[in-house]
Amino acid sequence: MIEVIQISRGGSGGVTGAKILAEAAIMYEGLYAQAIPKYGSERRGAMVQAYVRFDNKPIRIHSPVYEANHALILDLSLLDRIDINSVDKEGVIIVNSKKIPESLKGSGRKVAYVDATRISQELGLILSGFTLVNMTMLGAFVKGTNVVSIDNLEKAIVSFWGEKRAPKNVAAALQAYEETKVVIA
Amino acid sequence: MVVKHNKKSMTGNDAASYAALFAKPKVVSAYPITPQTTIIEKLSQYVDEGKLDAEFIIVESEHSALAGCMGAAWSGVRTFTATSSQGLLYMAENVFWSGYGRLPIVMPVVNRCLAPGWSIYQDLQDSMAFRDAGWIQIYTKNNQEVFDTVLQAFRISEDKSIALPSMPCLDGFVISHTTAQVDLPSAEDSFNFVGEYSDPVIEVDTEKPWIFGGLVGPEKFIKDRTDLMEAMERAKKKIVDMNKELGEYFGRTYGNGLIEIYGDDVADLTIVSMGTIADEAQDAVDKLKEEGLSVNEMRVRTFRPFPEEDIVEFAKKNHKLLVIDRSVSFGHAGQLRIEIEAVLHRNKVDTSVEGRIMGLGGEDVPYTKIVAAAKEALRSRM
Repeated sequence: MIEVIQISRGGSGGVTGAKILAEAAIMYEGLYAQAIPKYGSERRGAMVQAYVRFDNKPIRIHSPVYEANHALILDLSLLDRIDINSVDKEGVIIVNSKKIPESLKGSGRKVAYVDATRISQELGLILSGFTLVNMTMLGAFVKGTNVVSIDNLEKAIVSFWGEKRAPKNVAAALQAYEETKVVIA
Repeated sequence: MVVKHNKKSMTGNDAASYAALFAKPKVVSAYPITPQTTIIEKLSQYVDEGKLDAEFIIVESEHSALAGCMGAAWSGVRTFTATSSQGLLYMAENVFWSGYGRLPIVMPVVNRCLAPGWSIYQDLQDSMAFRDAGWIQIYTKNNQEVFDTVLQAFRISEDKSIALPSMPCLDGFVISHTTAQVDLPSAEDSFNFVGEYSDPVIEVDTEKPWIFGGLVGPEKFIKDRTDLMEAMERAKKKIVDMNKELGEYFGRTYGNGLIEIYGDDVADLTIVSMGTIADEAQDAVDKLKEEGLSVNEMRVRTFRPFPEEDIVEFAKKNHKLLVIDRSVSFGHAGQLRIEIEAVLHRNKVDTSVEGRIMGLGGEDVPYTKIVAAAKEALRSRM
């Protein structure tokens, strides 16, 4: 089983992103998957968590992810809200950042980083003043982890958003996939 | 022959909405409440888009929502609603009225704890408070089972020899808002499983007017209650039959429909629970077995009618039960434990029972906690 913890800010599309990632795995990758949004006082701008699980057999676990294989951080300022030591040493920290985050430098951790905010803004993925980095960061997630293929992610994005709204979202994921740098920090 | 399925990715609430859509109710009368809202939101959308030919009654409260369903059920049509928590409490008078009135309404309850303290998370306190209301209660473990159980519920409730409303119960958020795989049969195959509601259990006939809810003496009153008790008894067989039919038609079963056993037939300790805790407990059983411990599991799927015979038969072969309740009857104990102790005593079975209350107010119950509880129970076994 592969378990992912995702941290985002309300309004940036994290919950939807987790759902689409699970959908890509279930519908196109032939895996079993689960996307669990952690509901609470999810106001715009507040921290929102979601968990995604993948397995090749039905998943019977329903509780949150405590020890993730990978961490997906949609907002750099929330990086310190996760205990990186709880994430598998072999796993990847995928983060929305222009460069390797200072706090990870010298950690020896595998980091996948991309300036998702810029990519999304250039594509006009902005809603009510919030930059939607969810699809962009899914592109980075796929580059960093290969849990699902970029083709299958694209199919899931098209299926979720429909013909009309898909293009920008697909473009965001593909561009991030190209630009994401995967390094040992 | 097992029908063709389409693999889908959806939340537990969406699974409930699909089952309702495919069953083609004529009346949906509902009021929103977290975490149930997305069930009726989808249904109102289906009605709006013309996908569901039903009267969608928008009401001002849950009390009226169920009243709308009661009126519809009296007129002899298939009816559906859904609720949670405080909404279920606000419905209370009509919940009992429709149970004791034998109205075949299907109403998923998305389990959420009761206030205060104010919380939106899952436990079973809400539906448990209505265990005596004359409703069938089936507790589901995942999104797939939600879909299957809502379909089955129409068959069970609308059977003339049963004529009881049904509550398919699903854990709030953990099922309701979690996206997971559901193998979805076509709308046509799903409807074929449920069938037309062509022989209503009750139908208002304006040519033959009669009085509803009139005054009755104790004799008639007691007869009605005795009939209800017997209908519950008959529902056990119906639920088992529905489980078999689900297997033949859709290729899936849930234990025998009443209880589901996981692991060895006999073990030093049996974990007993309901809903998603029971699903996660299967991982706990595997983990404990890896450590060389002898543990199996019994999931109570149907709580009303209570599957006395099945529970007793399994319990008497085993040595000790660890019953995990996600609700409490204050002044006594967890409801599942109370009922299990009662049926064991009545059947002179001396298997010991230990109770644990876990997961109240949305507390996480990961398999690691179940493993720890099982180890403690094994240490203290007599």
